[in-house]
Amino acid sequence: MRHREAFRRLPDLLDDRDDTELLDHLRACAACQRQLFLLGRIDRALRDGAAVRKPPRGRRLLAATAAVTAAAAAVFLLTLFAPASSRRHPQRFALRTAAGRLVGEATIAQADAHNVSLALTAHDLPVRHGRGFVLWAGDRRSTMQVGRFLADTQGRCRVRFNLPANHDWSRLWVTRPGNTHTMVATGV
Amino acid sequence: MTAKPLESEAPHGRSDAELLEATAAGSEAAFAELRARYRPAISRVCRAIAGSDREDCEQEVFARIWGKAYLFDRRRGSAASWLLTVARHTAQNTHGRRRPPTPVSGEPRIDPVEPADVDTFWLVAALERLPERERSVIELAYYRDLSESAIAKRLRVPLGSVKSWKRRGLNQLAMLLDEESA
Repeated sequence: MRHREAFRRLPDLLDDRDDTELLDHLRACAACQRQLFLLGRIDRALRDGAAVRKPPRGRRLLAATAAVTAAAAAVFLLTLFAPASSRRHPQRFALRTAAGRLVGEATIAQADAHNVSLALTAHDLPVRHGRGFVLWAGDRRSTMQVGRFLADTQGRCRVRFNLPANHDWSRLWVTRPGNTHTMVATGV
Repeated sequence: MTAKPLESEAPHGRSDAELLEATAAGSEAAFAELRARYRPAISRVCRAIAGSDREDCEQEVFARIWGKAYLFDRRRGSAASWLLTVARHTAQNTHGRRRPPTPVSGEPRIDPVEPADVDTFWLVAALERLPERERSVIELAYYRDLSESAIAKRLRVPLGSVKSWKRRGLNQLAMLLDEESA
């Protein structure tokens, strides 16, 4: 058997196909032995991946039941303990550069009893000097780094963060990583 | 007998390590390609660890990859291993953050990860590099447990084509793995 043909048929050995000709070639060919070793790793990884993708049917049913129960419990707990602030309307912020150009919007809304969720949609952030940014939030008492995010080449992105609800977040601003004193955009 | 693998059958494109190194040098095109290649794999890690914070986690992972790519050293491990480490730590931080948010920690720690985990993580990205028909056949065979005849029936193609695409796809994956392990 020629090497080219043997090499092409090597994956058959993963299925325990008894191919005497192929096995004879394999014994004498280091390249095919290497390839078969790699195929074995691929086969194992695919099987592991399959196991992750497909939990047993029973487990899937159990997970679905648990999810429904958890969701019902969460709604109940939220009803019991949600603070008055959760009834506040979402706060909206327009993010503008120092020159006043609108580069994005952000909305802060109650997420659960202890947290608010901040959704930022940027559409024109200045990316000439880099696409990485840091988002900050502040109230009258304190300042907090909310998180980092990455815009695409057009300065667009959509990100969501969580913040503690026990602050009255009234200011947002964006800086570049490593240069926290220069604001790229601010929103109030 | 001296013989070489059939390199002409390997999918084209730069290796993950090359893309990561080009990203470190500031290539946005390389970063975009790496992102396209690894997005499903990273999304899976984020979903598994960070749960409902998956989207934030994904953003954070890619921001870190962009910012920290210069820390990648192919002599210390494969690109997939480095990316998986970054993804796991970021996902754990995202999940553990659970408000109040803390400042993003510095450099990703390079803890060892299990080789089998790296292979599985890498494979999700590598499958994206296969031609559509090879990828479909492999996914149907492994993830749906379909026999080759069942795949042929489902895709309405001859059994010989299924066998041939499956072989070619697996061989290509093995060659990509070899390239990444080099």
